[in-house]
Amino acid sequence: MNPEFQRNLWLEASPRRVAWAAVTIVLVLFAAIMVGRSGTHQAEILGGVGLAIFVACAVLWAGRLAGGAVLAEVAARTWDFQRLSALSAWQMTWGKLFGVTALAASAGLVGLLVYLAVGQPPDAGWQIALALGVAVLVQAGSFMAALVAVRKARAEGRQARTGGVLGGLFMGYLLLSGFISSRAFSGGGARNLLNLFGGSADMIRWWSLPLPGDVFRALSVACFAGFALAGAWRLMRLELQMRNEPVVWPLFLVFLAAWVAGLPQGAPGQVSAWAGLSVAGLAMCLAAYAAAFVEPADRVTLRRFGRLVSGGDAAEAARIAPAALFPLAFAAILTLASVGAPDTGAVLRGSALGGTAHSGALLAFLVRDLGVIALFRFGPRPQRGDFGAVVALALLYGVGGIIGSTSGGAAGAAVFLPTGGAFVGVSVLSALAQAVVAWMLAVRRIRAPESSVSAPPSGPASAPVS
Amino acid sequence: MSQPMIVADGVVYDYPASRALHGVSFSVEAGTVLALVGPNGAGKTTLMRCVAALDAPTEGTIRVDGLDTQDDPRGVHAAIGYLPDFFGLYDELSVRRALTYAARSRAVSVADTPRAVEEAAARVHLSDRLDARAGELSRGLRQRLAIAQTIVHRPRVLLLDEPAAGLDPEARRSLSDLVVKLAGEGMTIVVSSHILAELEDYSTRMLMIRDGQVAGGGVVAAGAGQGPDASFAVSFTKPPRDLRKRLTALGLTVVRLDGAEAVIAAAPGTADAEVLTSLVAAGLKVSAFQPARRTLEAAYLSEAGQ
Repeated sequence: MNPEFQRNLWLEASPRRVAWAAVTIVLVLFAAIMVGRSGTHQAEILGGVGLAIFVACAVLWAGRLAGGAVLAEVAARTWDFQRLSALSAWQMTWGKLFGVTALAASAGLVGLLVYLAVGQPPDAGWQIALALGVAVLVQAGSFMAALVAVRKARAEGRQARTGGVLGGLFMGYLLLSGFISSRAFSGGGARNLLNLFGGSADMIRWWSLPLPGDVFRALSVACFAGFALAGAWRLMRLELQMRNEPVVWPLFLVFLAAWVAGLPQGAPGQVSAWAGLSVAGLAMCLAAYAAAFVEPADRVTLRRFGRLVSGGDAAEAARIAPAALFPLAFAAILTLASVGAPDTGAVLRGSALGGTAHSGALLAFLVRDLGVIALFRFGPRPQRGDFGAVVALALLYGVGGIIGSTSGGAAGAAVFLPTGGAFVGVSVLSALAQAVVAWMLAVRRIRAPESSVSAPPSGPASAPVS
Repeated sequence: MSQPMIVADGVVYDYPASRALHGVSFSVEAGTVLALVGPNGAGKTTLMRCVAALDAPTEGTIRVDGLDTQDDPRGVHAAIGYLPDFFGLYDELSVRRALTYAARSRAVSVADTPRAVEEAAARVHLSDRLDARAGELSRGLRQRLAIAQTIVHRPRVLLLDEPAAGLDPEARRSLSDLVVKLAGEGMTIVVSSHILAELEDYSTRMLMIRDGQVAGGGVVAAGAGQGPDASFAVSFTKPPRDLRKRLTALGLTVVRLDGAEAVIAAAPGTADAEVLTSLVAAGLKVSAFQPARRTLEAAYLSEAGQ
């Protein structure tokens, strides 16, 4: 048996904890039976309670445990001991992920079985797949967020917390959902992602292919869960000091682009290549923002990347390339590809070329924003860099936009906001000029030599002390 | 001459805001017990973490038993045992389970694990506590369990960072005996401390780190590892006025002479009895005679002065 899985079972699934969990579930189910005994909806009530047990245990409780699996090791100062083990990165990943959640997931499965047994839902197979996929996605995502937090904490000299990373991912999800449903980028033809997964649409059209809602949701969640597992494994490899080839992240970006590009399509014969490319490009932009914040602010690695690039060692440089570079490059490619792309479905309201110009302005502002993020995250206090960058961006877009529009109308607003239409040129030029300034300042900070003081930054438990 | 077990070449390590190591180079032969000494904040822990392949140097290379820490970090992890200065234990696990996990996670086979656990526990005198919870152990016993976890897979290189911190004298003696025993079995051991007395009994070489750089003469003989360079502390009864001259005439070097007390040095390899016999034969009345070893502290201060 995987020693890491076994150790987690020793700790998490002790006979006493198993007994407590079993008693709790039995009591909850008994209470549900008693409540529904007098009415005609006993099966529905019991099924609903079973589903609630699944969500509470296999999704929420197990997700929390998965997020704490590595953070608890760091806090207990056992993480370095584990990093020195002979276990492979995959053994460590699944041993932790499925070991630490074993009890919670088992309790959740009991609830799911009750739901299926008494609720007798139609298409039970796909619903089981969706439920299990959601559970794995949340657990693996939480685990991955914890690994990101540990790496950031080590590089930035602060305490590792999962909350910020998870919060950021949720914000990104909301932004992606909001942008995809906005008229500016899809002509209103795309679906809202929240509705996609939270709603109950019977049929979903993806790349014009009509798919049953349950099937589409289950398959999509399974794919995202798979990538979350792969991402956790790749991050674990880095924790074990192994090197990663740039494979999984670019592959995920390609999948994400293809997945979102299929959403704003109409019926057969109404496929809009432009809308697909535009939405995919937007998803890449958001992925670039996420990557810029998620990656540890490690000046040393960035300088090494610069040396490798200038030395022409592309293969080695790709291994340590900033994660935001990949979605930025994909976004640029997609934006260029959208020039002249057919909009046969007439999804876009307005000219495709105008929409592409708008996307170009957005891309220019993305380059500026990445510079601003780098400027703050590589500052003298990297532990406050994320917050500083968010505030700076909020000021640039919020206060800058208000000042621009009040003083110069639409043209003034275009200086601070990615604008389409007549002032798209102003928007692009302004963004590029700001990007040059931001990046010059950021590069200066990245290149600044270390002081000769040998004491490391205070912070994570895994950091050395002398 | 034995093969080098640890070779560091031009190691530079940068933290985001500071440089901790400035081109550290040294070599440690197999079977050595190296005392890694230096003031707090000198870079000892950072260097140890780089040797353990837990952190990658910004520049330079480190090889452990022929394995490059950056090209084959997992190979290095398998070859070493590392006990950090601030370590943790799984408090809810019994000593037996903690050692079983340590053994299994370090590639000890299922069949060999029970024996490895018993051996490791016996080495640190924890055999009678195998069923106790780690969280119930005292500070000294926790330290022993941590060391047992570190050596359960019989690593070729053992890195101990401030291992005696917080231990009582009895536990320190026990630790010292264990280090001597492990070194006798051929293990290469690096022990870091800023308390030199801790290292006196078992270290055979010393490497001083100061401000992230190798200070003094690199890896030098020290503590128990100093060869028999035949220095002796001698007390004389009614010493003659020309004592220095007479000692010199015997081919001895007078290191220090203070009244009736002297520290003398003979040619390397000269036996104790030979020196004593020559003193008595020369008519000198010897009331006390014992080999004088340069203490680690003396070696440290001497190297620091370079």
